Amino acid sequence: MSILATALVGVGEVVVREGGHAPFDDKGYTTKNPILPPTGELLIGSAASLIVFGLLYKYMWPVIRQFFRDRTSRVQTELDDSAAAKAAAEQEAERIRAAKGDIDAERSRLYAEADAQAEALLVEGRARIDAEMDELERRADAEIVAAAGRSGEELAAEISRFSSRAIERVVAATLDDAAQQDLIENFIARVGASR
Amino acid sequence: MSDERIQGYARGLFEVARAEGTLDEVEDELFRFARSYESNDSLRQAMTDEQVPADRRQAIVEDLLGGRATPTTVQLVSMVVGSGRGRDLPAIIDELVQRAASAKDLDVAEVRTAVPLTGDQQDRLKAALENATGKRLTLKAVVDPSVVGGVVATVGDTVIDDTVRTRIEQLKSRL
Repeated sequence: MSILATALVGVGEVVVREGGHAPFDDKGYTTKNPILPPTGELLIGSAASLIVFGLLYKYMWPVIRQFFRDRTSRVQTELDDSAAAKAAAEQEAERIRAAKGDIDAERSRLYAEADAQAEALLVEGRARIDAEMDELERRADAEIVAAAGRSGEELAAEISRFSSRAIERVVAATLDDAAQQDLIENFIARVGASR
Repeated sequence: MSDERIQGYARGLFEVARAEGTLDEVEDELFRFARSYESNDSLRQAMTDEQVPADRRQAIVEDLLGGRATPTTVQLVSMVVGSGRGRDLPAIIDELVQRAASAKDLDVAEVRTAVPLTGDQQDRLKAALENATGKRLTLKAVVDPSVVGGVVATVGDTVIDDTVRTRIEQLKSRL
């Protein structure tokens, strides 16, 4: 810091001490100030710089400004798009969350419905089995009664068959000639008496 | 066999027997033969079997009836059997009997008993049936052991049944 202050003081002393134009020698204008150019060059350089900066301001600045405006607009647009996308994503996320909630509710409903159906099937199955059991028992009872009836009927038929055969044999054995003649005479008498 | 053909055969047999002057005898013999024919399965099968030659069937008839019936009866039965009408022989003979009875203005009374009727019983039975039906009858008695006992008489469509067989059947149906 002290070195820089010393240099500036030195430069000020040179400018004050010279106080006029820089001498022209065989090496051109030579200034003794290591920092400031000669006055003419300074003026011309300053004017040229002003012109350059003016031209730059007139012709380049609108372009630059428009560039930055466009960039700002583009960035804003992208920000808006991003915000819209974010909003849409949040909306979609909300919808998915809602759908997930719906799925959970639907799953619960389906579970409940399946449980109800299973319960109903069980109840119905038990009722049907009970009814079939009752029907089977009723049929079995009817079959037993019918079988008993059939056995009774078969027994009666068998007895009737044997009785018939026995009757035929007994009657044929007891019908001797006298009985035959009696039957014939009775027939003749009865037919002769009828008119 | 159609009724017309049966009647044709019966008419032929009737005319032959009447021409021979043995109608009553032939009619009676044919009636008895018809009843035996109906009750004898093997005889009926032999007489109706077309595989048995006609002359063989006729020889059987002559063996069966020869010496037991008049030659006219034997020849008439032989003719019917030989012409292949053995299956209709009972119907032809029944028609002949009806025709013979009608010729004498009589109706046929077929009486079946388990034991043979005496002549006296036949006369009294005929009189009783005539009294019951109001018709003049010619009695055809058939011994049929299947009736077991008693009598069954058939006059036209009228049947008077007082047989032990029928009573047993009634008893069976009750049982």
